[in-house]
Amino acid sequence: MPISEQGYSHWTGTFVERRLPWWPITRLGIRMAFKRKFFKFAFAISFLPAFIFAAGIYISERLEDFQFMLRGRRGSTSFLEVNPAYFKSYFGGDFLLFMMVMIMVLAGAGLIADDLKSNSLQLYFSRPIRKRDYILGKMSTLAFFLLLYTLVPGVLFILLKFLFAGSFKLVANYPWIPLAVLLDSLLLTLFFSFYTLLLSSLSRNRRYTAILLFLVYLFSDIFFGIFYGIFRKPGFCLLSIKANLQQVAAALFRVKPPFDVPWIYSLLILAAIGLACGAVLVRKTRGVEVIT
Amino acid sequence: MTAVIRAEKLSKWYGNVLGLSDVSLEIGPGITGLLGPNGAGKSTLMKLLTGQLKPSIGRVTIHGADVWNNMALFADIGFCPEQDAFYDELTGWEFVTRLLSLYGFSRADAASKAERALHFVELFKDKDRPLRGYSRGMRQRLKIAQTVAHEPGILILDEPLNGLDPLSKRKVIRLIKDFRDAGKTVLVSSHVLPEIEALTRSIVLLHQGKILAQGDIPYIRDLIDKHPHKISVKGSDPRALAASLVAQAAVQNIQFGPEPGTVVFETGDRDVLFGLLPRLIVERGIDIEEITSPDDNLQAVFDYLVGT
Amino acid sequence: MNIELKDLRFNYGKIVALAGVDLSLGEGACGLLGPNGAGKSTLLRILLGFLKPDRGEGRVLGYDIRRDPFAIRRLVGYMPEDDCLIPGMDAVTFTAYFGELSGMPRQEAMKRAHDVLFYVGLGEARYRSLETYSAGMKQRLKLAQALVHDPKLLFLDEPTSNLDPQGRTEVLDLIKDISSKKDISVLISSHILTDIEYTCTYVVILNQGKVAAQGDIEALKEIRFSLFEIKTKGESGSFLRALRDRGCKVEETEDQILKVYMPADMPRREIFEAAVRENVQIRMFLKSRTSLEDLFARTVGVD
Repeated sequence: MPISEQGYSHWTGTFVERRLPWWPITRLGIRMAFKRKFFKFAFAISFLPAFIFAAGIYISERLEDFQFMLRGRRGSTSFLEVNPAYFKSYFGGDFLLFMMVMIMVLAGAGLIADDLKSNSLQLYFSRPIRKRDYILGKMSTLAFFLLLYTLVPGVLFILLKFLFAGSFKLVANYPWIPLAVLLDSLLLTLFFSFYTLLLSSLSRNRRYTAILLFLVYLFSDIFFGIFYGIFRKPGFCLLSIKANLQQVAAALFRVKPPFDVPWIYSLLILAAIGLACGAVLVRKTRGVEVIT
Repeated sequence: MTAVIRAEKLSKWYGNVLGLSDVSLEIGPGITGLLGPNGAGKSTLMKLLTGQLKPSIGRVTIHGADVWNNMALFADIGFCPEQDAFYDELTGWEFVTRLLSLYGFSRADAASKAERALHFVELFKDKDRPLRGYSRGMRQRLKIAQTVAHEPGILILDEPLNGLDPLSKRKVIRLIKDFRDAGKTVLVSSHVLPEIEALTRSIVLLHQGKILAQGDIPYIRDLIDKHPHKISVKGSDPRALAASLVAQAAVQNIQFGPEPGTVVFETGDRDVLFGLLPRLIVERGIDIEEITSPDDNLQAVFDYLVGT
Repeated sequence: MNIELKDLRFNYGKIVALAGVDLSLGEGACGLLGPNGAGKSTLLRILLGFLKPDRGEGRVLGYDIRRDPFAIRRLVGYMPEDDCLIPGMDAVTFTAYFGELSGMPRQEAMKRAHDVLFYVGLGEARYRSLETYSAGMKQRLKLAQALVHDPKLLFLDEPTSNLDPQGRTEVLDLIKDISSKKDISVLISSHILTDIEYTCTYVVILNQGKVAAQGDIEALKEIRFSLFEIKTKGESGSFLRALRDRGCKVEETEDQILKVYMPADMPRREIFEAAVRENVQIRMFLKSRTSLEDLFARTVGVD
């Protein structure tokens, strides 16, 4: 035909059955996160602990080169030893946990809140997507970042240690480290994902959810501080999300926990919070489909 | 026509964003339609007329008195805004009665007026439900109730039929016409031009902050020389009819179709054409199904004047 | 048959939304009318699979609404009434995203997004952030996301709401183009009857959870064969008398329209003969039809 058909034309392609039907949602979430103000900054500085700890691994192998640091110290080998306590310091570090909350706030506060506000859920669900695909897609955005700060550095540290030590001594001496890295990464990832996603679904306003995300975490620790200051009982550490995370990290790496409380309680509390978040989340999205 | 509302050289800017520029008009009793594209200045004009905004230049008077800051005049104006701005915790009843009390009516008076207004919009049975539970159509009807509850002499309505189902629209159109019959002044703005045509022949067309046209729709249509009137004739022998008329100077253009059996004449002088038509029909023995003027309506006036 | 519903029922708790809807819709453009609360939105939600009916059966494009909602959603496009655009994106990203979620491969979705955006008239603006869009452009973007996966059936909910006269014309013309040329069927829910008359050939009227009337608009409007609406210019007194003498019943309405009821044996020609004799211009001549509005009022049983 010399002149092509103008105007609307039909699509001649075929639909594809994705293995992960929610993958576009994750991709978009990651893309939108990077568009947020300050996100790139937070993203970068959250890698700081990883860099420092990685450098530490290098230094620990080359202690002779760094004798200047040891001037006047006894027991030089214990200064910088890459052992489970080292890993626990990373995974339970105040700064890292705080930055992860910041990343959650920046990338996650609006994940569901924005969809509620812009009323776009009706567009999502007029597609062949299940509620659980929607939630999984959103969660994976968060998991992407969280794993980047937990599992990836953890595995990297192990590999670097092998590389610089030239041996598998780390795993030979402390065989539980790889599993602990995996489990703690999963714990942190799952906990923060559920926590963030639930809070994001509580309001249409991204600012409220951001503040909520931030304050709940902060205040849990503040309450701990207050009660501990008054009563001096370590049991109050169960009030603090941060403390609970540190307890479990210590238990996983088989290091003495920071507080004299059975770590299983911390794990139970975290699990309870996570499950509660999950349950409320599911109920919320069910209610959403019946829009007035 | 005695002007009830008069705007003199009205101009309004928001910072350096233009709202209205040099608008002068008079609105008298009866229904006047206000139309224009988005951003033409309709809401600005309505807010200026109801005293919610102060003009940058010019003035607005109602019955000769300046509108700005004139509390006494507000009692005679009923304004129905386009947006939904409700206090969701109030019930319908509370909402209407409280607004009425702002006009200074006694408790008893306010109650009876509210009752009448709510009955009219058929929301009386829902009066004790909080507004949060009202559907879109109900909220629109409530807006109308609060507009007329204090029995104003002047109604200024911004998209009053928005969100209403066809039957409610009918009722509200009837209400507006009753107002007109009672000698009141109504200014109605709408984007749905057939609905304006159902109400009135008198319009004000705004465009880019200025008045583009004002007055009687057929009269305005007549003045649009660039687009001669179209007359569509559907019958048994369109070509014979076309042949008889093609020599007429009054006929500027002849087109066939799109429907079968149809011929459309364009003319600048309808009198000549319509004068000739019946005789030609009878002489040629043509069986006529339809005679219409397809572009003799408000939509055509709008398209021709505002244009793309 | 595009949509087949049998005895569909749905309650929101104690409130009855659908009380037994029977419907059979073929191809083409169909208007869905009804008073507020008649069940239109509930019906749309059930057709899209947002809700499962309490009782009754239904098939959309051959797929069961209970068992295969996903297959239905692949073939159906939905243009919601209210705002639903995601800020912070441009039109291409937005449209391609929802194309992907419909099951299109990523590159196909991108290609198709561009095509569809040109079709709805957003070609020039497609890279701009959609917060900068006017109301008319937003409506067209909503239409674009409903078309990106090339559906066979489109549900449009109040497609012209909040549009100015130009925007309304543009969207209505788009809808007309889609339904009349491209073998895509359209179901439009709207309160603006002139829009329905412009775009649809078939109409379904819902009332109190049931179908109160359905059929071809032209057929339902009941052309009354001997009743004509006429507008004249000139001294009409003697013209009217002449018609009445011939046996016609003549009424004059509010807008100066003459309703002329002709006796069965009188050919139309005689009206024009009378006009020539009495020197009167006939400026409008139309078979009288019940308006869609009257049909609606009569069906819904009020007034």
